[in-house]
Amino acid sequence: MNRYRFLIKKISWSAFTILFVLILNFFLFRILPGDAARAGIHDPRLTKEAIEKIRVRYGLDKPVINCLESVHPVKLGDCTINPFETQFFIYLRNLSQGELGISFHSNRPVTDILGERLWNTILLIGAGQILSIIIGMVFGIFAAWKARTVIDYSSLIISLVAWSLPTFWLGIILLFWGSNHGLPIGGKMTPGISSYPLLYQAGDTLKHIFLPTLTYTIVFMGEYMLVMRSSLLDVLGEDYILTAKAKGLSTFQILKDHALKNAMLPIVTIIAINLGFTVAGAIQIETVFSWPGLGGAIFEAVVRRDFPVLQGAFLLIAISVIIANLLADLTYSYLDPRVQSEQ
Amino acid sequence: MAVQELELKPSIPSSPLQNFWQTFSKNRMGFVGLFMLIVIITLAIFAPVLAPHDIKSSAGIEIGDIYNPPNAIHWFGTDDAGKDVFSGFIYGSRVSLIVGFFAAFISIAIGGTFGIVAGFYGGRVENFLMRFTDLFLVIPDLPLIVVIVALTKPNLLNIIFVIGLLGWTTTARIVRSQTLAVKSRKFVLRAKAIGAGNRHIIMHHILPLVMPILVVNAILVISLAILSESTLSFLGLGDPTAVSWGQMLNFAFGRGAMSAGAWWALFAPGFGIVWVVLGLTLLGHGLEQVLNPRIESHHLMPSRPSFQSETVEISPKPAKGKNNAPLLLDVQNISINYVNDENIAKAVHNVSFQLHEGELIGLVGESGCGKTTLVMAITRLLPAAGEISNGHVYFSGKDLVMLTENEMADVRWSGISVIFQGAMNALNPVRTVGDQIKEAIIKHIPTYPSESLDTRVIELLDLVGIAADHKDNFPHQYSGGMRQRAMIAMALACNPQVVIADEPTTALDVMIQAQILELLDELRKKLGLAVIFVTHDLGVVAEMCDSVLVMYGGVTAEYADVDTIYNAPLHPYTQELLKAFPDLSKPEKKLTSIPGYPPKLDALPPGCRFAPRCPAVFERCTIEQPALHDSGDGHIVSCHLMENS
Repeated sequence: MNRYRFLIKKISWSAFTILFVLILNFFLFRILPGDAARAGIHDPRLTKEAIEKIRVRYGLDKPVINCLESVHPVKLGDCTINPFETQFFIYLRNLSQGELGISFHSNRPVTDILGERLWNTILLIGAGQILSIIIGMVFGIFAAWKARTVIDYSSLIISLVAWSLPTFWLGIILLFWGSNHGLPIGGKMTPGISSYPLLYQAGDTLKHIFLPTLTYTIVFMGEYMLVMRSSLLDVLGEDYILTAKAKGLSTFQILKDHALKNAMLPIVTIIAINLGFTVAGAIQIETVFSWPGLGGAIFEAVVRRDFPVLQGAFLLIAISVIIANLLADLTYSYLDPRVQSEQ
Repeated sequence: MAVQELELKPSIPSSPLQNFWQTFSKNRMGFVGLFMLIVIITLAIFAPVLAPHDIKSSAGIEIGDIYNPPNAIHWFGTDDAGKDVFSGFIYGSRVSLIVGFFAAFISIAIGGTFGIVAGFYGGRVENFLMRFTDLFLVIPDLPLIVVIVALTKPNLLNIIFVIGLLGWTTTARIVRSQTLAVKSRKFVLRAKAIGAGNRHIIMHHILPLVMPILVVNAILVISLAILSESTLSFLGLGDPTAVSWGQMLNFAFGRGAMSAGAWWALFAPGFGIVWVVLGLTLLGHGLEQVLNPRIESHHLMPSRPSFQSETVEISPKPAKGKNNAPLLLDVQNISINYVNDENIAKAVHNVSFQLHEGELIGLVGESGCGKTTLVMAITRLLPAAGEISNGHVYFSGKDLVMLTENEMADVRWSGISVIFQGAMNALNPVRTVGDQIKEAIIKHIPTYPSESLDTRVIELLDLVGIAADHKDNFPHQYSGGMRQRAMIAMALACNPQVVIADEPTTALDVMIQAQILELLDELRKKLGLAVIFVTHDLGVVAEMCDSVLVMYGGVTAEYADVDTIYNAPLHPYTQELLKAFPDLSKPEKKLTSIPGYPPKLDALPPGCRFAPRCPAVFERCTIEQPALHDSGDGHIVSCHLMENS
């Protein structure tokens, strides 16, 4: 199978997954009892006219989709209506224009709210992932190389403990410790320093991001270490490592040129699979450290029952994870020349 | 043969469960995890008895009771409502365990069913189920759980269902691959052949074999469910009527424990979560080690240091090489042990041989007779458990046994190179063949002009009959025979004096085997190589070798030039081996095989190692090990028959 067919196959699968998420997201917020609009509508203080106005504003006066008038309660409808006049089509059209609805809480477009928070999350996740991958891999390499020694056993225990820590609790404990040691107790910047020199602002942000990143790193490095260790152990037991040793290569050369590229392969997969957990971590860490990111937005939306923001944030996260998975797949196929010919 | 070997093992008269427990109780990690879990389950069951204070009612609580530090009455202090943290801690274990176990049960049931059905039926069913699983695998769990719980009523039942219904994907994948692996085993196929129904096969043959992996996975799923529940509760989406650790943290964190400095209210509930999850993790890890033991040993682990044991038997010197060619490699009285925690296996004992320039010596014997161990010791490539317990290997004026690892690295490939079984995995799958050949040259001839490296690689490939344009291909693009040729080209890259060929034709089909052997023979004549050829094929030996060392159970059985071995073998083992080998010149010859198997190296017979299978065995053979005996002209035999005559 050539490279293009492989690419097309992977991309079309991702597109299908995104479509699935879009449909899931659409019906989820209409099927479940706490449905978005009804939460707003079921306020006894509202008049009939006001309710009707809200229904029109959120497009709820239209049928859900062809053949389906409403989903809660289920009511079948006309199949011959113009498909462009259904809630589902309007949902898709709005999405394609980047519209995710209006926040119940702040009355601002959800896209704007999420847009300004997205970068903060990427910054946090990026820093945390890079650090945890590097530290986890270094420990994993040493543990595998020095298998069955004190180095191996202690990194194993550290990793298992790190894995078992609930992210939010570790955050709380670190925050508790940090607040007693002069570190900021949350947020991204000390309020009112936007007039200070840029370098000072950067330093301030660094102080703020230190503990959230540390939390992230500790929680995730354990798993990377375990995966790296077991993957490298497998690779180092392979025949071609013996060949490399028989060729007179040094241990360092064997690790660098023969073992790591092979052992990295499962790490790439784990990074992709972990993206979901990464987001889960972001929700917890941003909640604890009041970090103004997507995870924090989800928490606030849950507390305020601000469904459009919740819906938008879920969609954004799900699609990002799917795309990141696709990238991981493509990286994998680039790293392992066997992948394309096997499939 | 493998099956028969299994059946030969002495059966241990105890149930599998007892066996399992014996191994498990030795696993410290798993044991600690189990203990941690038992503690927390006890707490949960006896919570009403163990909790010192009532956590439901707030009767008798005054404003001064809020956030009291730990004291004699409140061991873990009090929380934001003045309630006892220790009692909350005990009750919290109930919610965690209930959600964890029930949610995991749902996940395991769904994932297990999907995995088994997909793996067992295959085809479209598998395709559909696995695609469905992939779909759910990429959707981030926790955000979806949060969304669903936020939209529904946050009660314990809903939480259990949501976590359970979203947590099955990894289980499905793991169970499927295990089912696939199990499905093609003999007894499953046999059950199918005698007409057993699918349901019967799944329940009685597949499920028991999938179970161990399912149990390990279930433990992971439980701990993930517990973490999900506590996160939900911490985010304020827990069941408001059930005291859980996450909820206690939500209250403490949201209601000023931080500013009040009430570390106890923040620490205790989290400690509970860590305790349970760590207990499960340790248990899971321990179970995995017991159920699926891995030999955690690899090629970069240093093998055990060599030493010289004191009792050296001097073996007679073998004959000079043909045409008095200079001596290249002198292996003297080598003994090799494999050592693990409990016992020592004497893999090779007191073997000596000599290799002269241009000579090809065959190391012959059944599998497990120490041939590969011997050649790996010469290149000091023994696995971590291996040690050279005696002897010397002299090569170009140096004793290889005594060299440091760095000195040895210089000898490897430039002095002695190895042709491994290239058909499978001896070549690195992610690097091109040309690259892997170049690497050896760069290592040993650092002054080699880099612009002529490519030319040299092409020259080497040409030597073994591979076209130049395959230079930049990856090993998986080669056929098995080509890979073996590439391996040979690689072994010749640094003009070694000695080449060790370790069963280079195993796993190739017969036509290719013949081609490879012809190539090897041609090359060694052309390049004047000295070759140590490890094989169990006597036909190859007859055609190519100059001298032959027959090994049995780690010792020399017979060592002589090839004509002597074929025409006048003295050791019963050699004679028996030859009887099992067809001879074209005597088509009427009746082929017989030697009954039985070579001895297990950690349970050697007290006398001659071949005695249990020897047709000429007599009393002395079972008591005393025969010494090496020179029957004249360098023909060495270790057999009591020689000494008697």
